[in-house]
Amino acid sequence: MAAKKNEYNASSITVLEGLEAVRKRPGMYIGSTGERGLHHLIWEVVDNAVDEAMAGYATQVVVTLRADGGVQVIDDGRGIPVGMHPVEKRPAVEVVLTTLHAGGKFGGDSYAVSGGLHGVGVSVVNALATRLDVDICTDGYQWTQTYEHSQPAHALKQGEPTNRTGTTITYWADPTIFETVEYNIETVARRLQEMAFLNKGLTIVLRDERVAEGDEDAEAGKVRERTFRYPGGLEDFVAHINATREPVHKKVIAFDAKGETIEVEVAMQWNTGYSESVFTFANTINTHEGGTHEEGFRAALTRVINVYARDKKLLKEKDPNLTGDDVREGLAAIVSVKLKEPQFEGQTKTKLGNTEAKSVVQTTCNEWIADWFERNPADAKAIVTKSVSSAQARMAARKARELVRRKSALDIGGLPGKLKDCQSTNPDECELYIVEGDSAGGSAKEGRESHFQAILPIRGKIINVEKARIDRVLKNTEVQSLITALGTGIHDEFDVSKLRYHKIVLMADADVDGKHITTLLLTLLFRFMRPLIELGHVYLSCPPLYKIKWQRAEPQYAYSDRERDVLVEQGLAAGRKINKEDGIQRYKGLGEMNAEELWETTMDPANRLLRQVTMDDAALADELFSVLMGEDVEARRSFIVRNAKDVRFLDV
Amino acid sequence: MTETLPPAGDRIEPADIQQEMQSSYIDYAMSVIVSRALPDVRDGLKPVHRRVLFSMYDTRLYPDRSYVKCSRVVGDVMGNYHPHGDSSIYDALVRLAQSWSMRYPLVDGQGNFGSPGNDAPAAMRYTESRLTQLSMAMLQDIDKDTVDLKDNYDGKTLEPEVLPARIPNLLVNGGSGIAVGMATNLPPHNLREVAAGVVWALENWDAGEDETLAALMQRIKGPDFPTKALILGTGGIEDAYRTGRGSIRMRSVVEVEEDAKGRTILVVTELPFQVNPDNLVENIAGLVRDGKLGGIANIADESNKRRGMRIVITLRRDAVAKVVLNNLYKHT
Repeated sequence: MAAKKNEYNASSITVLEGLEAVRKRPGMYIGSTGERGLHHLIWEVVDNAVDEAMAGYATQVVVTLRADGGVQVIDDGRGIPVGMHPVEKRPAVEVVLTTLHAGGKFGGDSYAVSGGLHGVGVSVVNALATRLDVDICTDGYQWTQTYEHSQPAHALKQGEPTNRTGTTITYWADPTIFETVEYNIETVARRLQEMAFLNKGLTIVLRDERVAEGDEDAEAGKVRERTFRYPGGLEDFVAHINATREPVHKKVIAFDAKGETIEVEVAMQWNTGYSESVFTFANTINTHEGGTHEEGFRAALTRVINVYARDKKLLKEKDPNLTGDDVREGLAAIVSVKLKEPQFEGQTKTKLGNTEAKSVVQTTCNEWIADWFERNPADAKAIVTKSVSSAQARMAARKARELVRRKSALDIGGLPGKLKDCQSTNPDECELYIVEGDSAGGSAKEGRESHFQAILPIRGKIINVEKARIDRVLKNTEVQSLITALGTGIHDEFDVSKLRYHKIVLMADADVDGKHITTLLLTLLFRFMRPLIELGHVYLSCPPLYKIKWQRAEPQYAYSDRERDVLVEQGLAAGRKINKEDGIQRYKGLGEMNAEELWETTMDPANRLLRQVTMDDAALADELFSVLMGEDVEARRSFIVRNAKDVRFLDV
Repeated sequence: MTETLPPAGDRIEPADIQQEMQSSYIDYAMSVIVSRALPDVRDGLKPVHRRVLFSMYDTRLYPDRSYVKCSRVVGDVMGNYHPHGDSSIYDALVRLAQSWSMRYPLVDGQGNFGSPGNDAPAAMRYTESRLTQLSMAMLQDIDKDTVDLKDNYDGKTLEPEVLPARIPNLLVNGGSGIAVGMATNLPPHNLREVAAGVVWALENWDAGEDETLAALMQRIKGPDFPTKALILGTGGIEDAYRTGRGSIRMRSVVEVEEDAKGRTILVVTELPFQVNPDNLVENIAGLVRDGKLGGIANIADESNKRRGMRIVITLRRDAVAKVVLNNLYKHT
């Protein structure tokens, strides 16, 4: 190392030009180069098409996952302009496709509202594709152009005259940039469905032309196709969320209002469940972190219900007011605002900051909800009764929680006895391993670096919080010890500053039961301590699947079948030999490993592989959780049938 | 995953919660469906049962040899084929030996293997077992390349993907299972009847669906439960045979007698399949306590091996046997 002289002078400063920058640092533009980033390309193109719909020019968007790995998006909007750009001296479409931050949405008049503005435009898609075809019908002609490796292969061609208008973009994502170029049909479908809900009357068609092995339909030449079209818009969205649950009242409450600069649309319906599913959107962008429109909605809802409850004597004089959480228990609601210049704040730029949104949403909701309650007294009574019983459950739960606290106060340090805590008290460096089973818990305790790693063994399958009411959940000892160990409290008492470990690692066996336990734990965290997931504190550990024992050499560990094959091949090529007896060991459980092995492969920060749990879209995640873990067996069955072919790992 | 090996160091990859939930859940659900909870249509066995039988065959626990402790069987199965808890293996083994669970038991058990009620079998260090003649037919010719073998979980030995199954075990012994999002429940049948049906189907392999159904229904009258009892109506049976979905209502056999003191007693001598007599007695007692069932003075379970099933319901002197019985049928 020392002999090598490192030159660092003016010539080593590189300026990345245009699209080259995107190729070099794709993460900055699309988040990641994994499955998420890959799908982001589709959203980017679809957003543009949907913007045409929001502006009132397009009625249909067709998304096709082609058999050759390409993606095609067709809309019947106005078509990207093909005239010469006055400054760039190139056709406008070429400017749009090859220049970052070029588009029709910055000027102001072409689009009144737009969702695509947060993105960087379709040029990013071009930058990350091996090939991109654009086919535009506008100004009476058909125009085509092909880009290869982001460069135009030829000038824009004028084709046949036509009366139609619209844009067709087909692209093939670059496999040298993305870790995978396999699109997940379920992810795409869910997002497109959400788009269709938010844009009343817009038809979105998803076609999957890819042929999966053993898929009879596809082999018979049939294309799997799904059409999303919701004339009811948000109303249908709410009905869809509640489809797997039992509604408290039949009709969805829906209303909309137009202010000077803001359009507000709200749809809501209570179900008999216990979790809140309120999702807010600004210009069809999912605002996970809420913002002013959500504040307005919540304030109005709490006020209206309290006023109504007092007025109708459903709440006695002595009773305290219902809290926001009480009235939102079991509420499925969508609040969508469309405004001209949205301002996004927050860590992930998903919090609406426009102050005028709050007052408009609040007054609208105040008026309409109160009006609806007066018109539907029977339903209103059912809703208020539900809120009141939720308030009672909240008090019962608080008692249960106090019980948890008091009980733990008897333990030394107020922590559950099973937890093996670490020495450090600095949450920043502390890690909590939640381990499946006591047998693995032992290995983990022995193997850990006790300075900063704490171990909490969980016995067996933890309770499914999706199916149980909160007071029962809180009585569960495993849940109690988990909550006390984390230190944050739950729901509205949640306080992330009290989090005792900044890395929470779920460590389950690498078998299917381990996977089930992971889903149960994620459900618990998602429902009770969602900010932990949003802030990226939750990780999944990846224990190795195989141990390859070499004759006269250190053993190696493989984390996938593929990696095992590669390692074996490399080892054999290097002239090593695998032990005859028991050469490749398949790990069935964590308890099978020695403490040192576990440390070396799964817990040592120098070697381990962690997967950080991220959440793109809370609304979609919420729906998925309720399908997978909730009460509706039929929905779960059809989900399994639809996705059975995606199974990666079968345990026998 | 890429072909090159990832570098050392704290590697952190993003994992989207939806994709993680979806793929983990599908893996779990499909595994439970494909290879845990549901019986295979070819040999009517769930993997754990198949492993028990194969392992017993492998260790030569034939019907003409002496019994061997169940703990040894469980140990062999667990060590060689089934990397799960010992209790689930022992439960599976016990079920195969229970004459009230299986129309034709596949395991011959020695010792306390439980009762139709809530009595648990003795611990596996006490009980002994070996194969039955019938399970030998299930396994016959397995060493003559009749079925595919696959690696066991650690790749050290081989296990059969399915047993040769010379008897149509799924139809004969039935089977039930609750997986994720789907479940199955098949009634047991009489071996002679099924054999007659199979012979007909083999001889008339080119018959149409309707013809086959009619001919089979003629030969196989309906399910044949190890616990006897009455089947109410044949509509459900035909639905089940035609479509794969049908419900069969069953009723206990009850006789009206008089006891030594001259009181009328109802004696239940046969219970429907998989009805637990202990729970039934508790259930009836609960109904009487709540006042939902009148006319009952006492209820006692007098069953034993020699006299068979015998649940005695003593009536009040003023009660009419028919009325009480009809109420019982309605509520239980």
